[in-house]
Amino acid sequence: MNVLEINNLKKYFETSAGVVHSVDGVSFNISKGETLGLVGESGCGKTTTGRTIIKLYEPTGGQIIFNGVDITGMTQKEMLPVRKKMQMIFQDPYASLNPRMTIGDIVIEPMIIHKIPKEQHRDRMINLLRRVGLNSEHANRYPHEFSGGQRQRVGIARALAVEPEFIICDEPISALDVSIQAQVVNMLEDLQKDLGLTYLFIAHDLSMVRHISSRVAVMYLGEIVELAESSELYKNPKHPYTRSLLSSIPIPDPDKSDERKIIPLSGEIPSPLNPPKGCKFSTRCPIFKSDCKNIKPVLKNIGNEHFCACPFV
Amino acid sequence: MSDNEILLEVKDLHTSFFTQAGEVKAVNGVSFYLRRGEILGIAGESGSGKSVTMLSVLKLLGRSGKITSGEIIFKGRDLTKLNKREIEDIRGKSISMIFQDPMTSLNPVLSVGYQLREALRRHKIEGDHKKLSIDILERVGVVPAETRLKQYPHEFSGGQRQRIMIAMAMICKPDLLIADEPTTALDVTVQAQILDLMKELQRNFSTSIILITHDLGVIAGSCDRVMIMYGGHSIEQGTRQDIFYKTAHPYTTGLLKSVPDPDNINNARLIPIEGQPPDLINPPKGCPFALRCPDVMRVCVENLPPEKFLSDTHKASCWLLHKNGGDKN
Ligand SMILES: Nc1ncnc2c1ncn2[C@@H]1O[C@H](COP(=O)(O)OP(=O)(O)OP(=O)(O)O)[C@@H](O)[C@H]1O
Ligand SMILES: Nc1ncnc2c1ncn2[C@@H]1O[C@H](COP(=O)(O)OP(=O)(O)OP(=O)(O)O)[C@@H](O)[C@H]1O
Ligand SMILES: [Mg+2]
Ligand SMILES: [Mg+2]
Repeated sequence: MNVLEINNLKKYFETSAGVVHSVDGVSFNISKGETLGLVGESGCGKTTTGRTIIKLYEPTGGQIIFNGVDITGMTQKEMLPVRKKMQMIFQDPYASLNPRMTIGDIVIEPMIIHKIPKEQHRDRMINLLRRVGLNSEHANRYPHEFSGGQRQRVGIARALAVEPEFIICDEPISALDVSIQAQVVNMLEDLQKDLGLTYLFIAHDLSMVRHISSRVAVMYLGEIVELAESSELYKNPKHPYTRSLLSSIPIPDPDKSDERKIIPLSGEIPSPLNPPKGCKFSTRCPIFKSDCKNIKPVLKNIGNEHFCACPFV
Repeated sequence: MSDNEILLEVKDLHTSFFTQAGEVKAVNGVSFYLRRGEILGIAGESGSGKSVTMLSVLKLLGRSGKITSGEIIFKGRDLTKLNKREIEDIRGKSISMIFQDPMTSLNPVLSVGYQLREALRRHKIEGDHKKLSIDILERVGVVPAETRLKQYPHEFSGGQRQRIMIAMAMICKPDLLIADEPTTALDVTVQAQILDLMKELQRNFSTSIILITHDLGVIAGSCDRVMIMYGGHSIEQGTRQDIFYKTAHPYTTGLLKSVPDPDNINNARLIPIEGQPPDLINPPKGCPFALRCPDVMRVCVENLPPEKFLSDTHKASCWLLHKNGGDKN
């Protein structure tokens, strides 16, 4: 069963410089208990995709179906019960917690918004803190007294406060130290197993995405260029952008690192104000053909549920 | 200078910040050396003193920071003994530094060309400054250089700005380039290009490079030797082979284990280092890693382990490497 289905999702921003095509026709679905990884260069539209799904942004076009219900046109009020089931963990554990609230109050706040009976608040909050590896003594302390890893735990406890089914994790570990990242990833995996959670996992760290995701979608300039089961994608990347991206991942092993060949990308990522015609990757593509400027590639199943948006692979 | 010559040697460096909350002992007796043309990587926990160690070399510690003891021998001179003027002569000319955030070191209201020429002027470099500026921009791949010189920092992408930073740092052909997380904010494809570029410059000018990074993949791919830091101490040093294949310190082991293994992906659970890093205002008496160490012994909590040489190139500070956990050699 699909928890989330998005069809041809678009989010454009009107700015003084012109219209930014941040998300430009993205489709995918995520089934229950699954983790879909979303990767791609900075500015390709990952965060905007996440924020549009949870409707922090109004979609410009397309469709968002959550648990079988079309939520695309819902008002903020109609969204309230949906938000209870769909939560987001933010990238920056320093900026995303209110510095004037105690840890306990931060975790209780969503319970108030979602009208969970008051007498349950405290017990639930303490249980959540334990769940994420903190304890009841932490409840009366303030965010600045905690390390980055601990703050990210608080952010996760807050997201879990109203028992969501689906969580959008936007770079939940990027701001954390290497030795702490593994703690948080393990916790996310345990929670998923115990509570049957479904994740959209956005990250820069391609090795970590590979580790945590069942399937991975690769985004370039607002579009998905490739999507496949995680081990299939990493073993057998097809799209020239994915190939270059994966070839550039630093390998923490000197001998393997010396052996590998990086496929370099030429040029700069084009402006989303004025994206290239035809294939958006054509300006940097190592296997560019003249047709690429005219034909808009579509995401096609090339077997084994492996989707790729390049007709030349 | 011959190729094997030691360019920089730091001996038992201690650096503290004197703050309202007390003395922050950021660097607690760090010793290392760097040969000409070599790339030394520094990795370690956030707050372990990587940046402060390098800022000490350049004496960029601000008002509250002070080197409390130790020596920093650069080309035969002890930098800790130099006055402000003498250090300024060295900074940017013989030693230059690339900071993590490119926008903090590029002046937004001056053109890139002006800033490059200014560096040449300040250090009284002879020759045609315009030509030297064009050369270096071409080398770092910011083209067409002649037009690019007239542009301002905000007109460049993050990766291009980082290239310009490298150009600025290299234009006076320094003996030592210190790069503090030069690629952290960049995408992997751009990161690979920037690291390649640094290696090429190192080969062509035999510049020595100190590369601070939290990415063990970057260390494995780019560095000749590695220093691992924890809680203000250097806890292990060696060639990249030593560090990755003959790992000696439990923190290094933990660090290497906590990243996903590319050969054993999915289902395999990650192995984190439990606990939190130490408080530097009241640093632990013994080994800084003792409280998180899976192999902790009583001696570890009480006494700081001395450095032990495991080979000519490899040393580590851990009581496990000492016989009986107490025998001092
Ligand atoms: N509120 C906004 N107004 C105008 N443009 C925006 C807005 N939010 C994002 N954008 C633009 O949309 C594009 C996609 O941004 P987004 O933050 O989704 O990228 P991302 O993939 O999350 O990048 P990163 O990896 O750096 O977080 C960028 O060009 C960005 O500048
Ligand atoms: N100006 C300052 N005043 C007080 N304390 C400082 C100052 N600068 C650094 N410190 C402290 O010194 C210690 C070492 O900091 P340093 O910046 O060297 O860490 P680092 O290893 O570079 O960490 P990161 O990986 O996060 O950059 C930290 O505990 C830090 O809080
Ligand atoms: Mg983002
Ligand atoms: Mg630092």
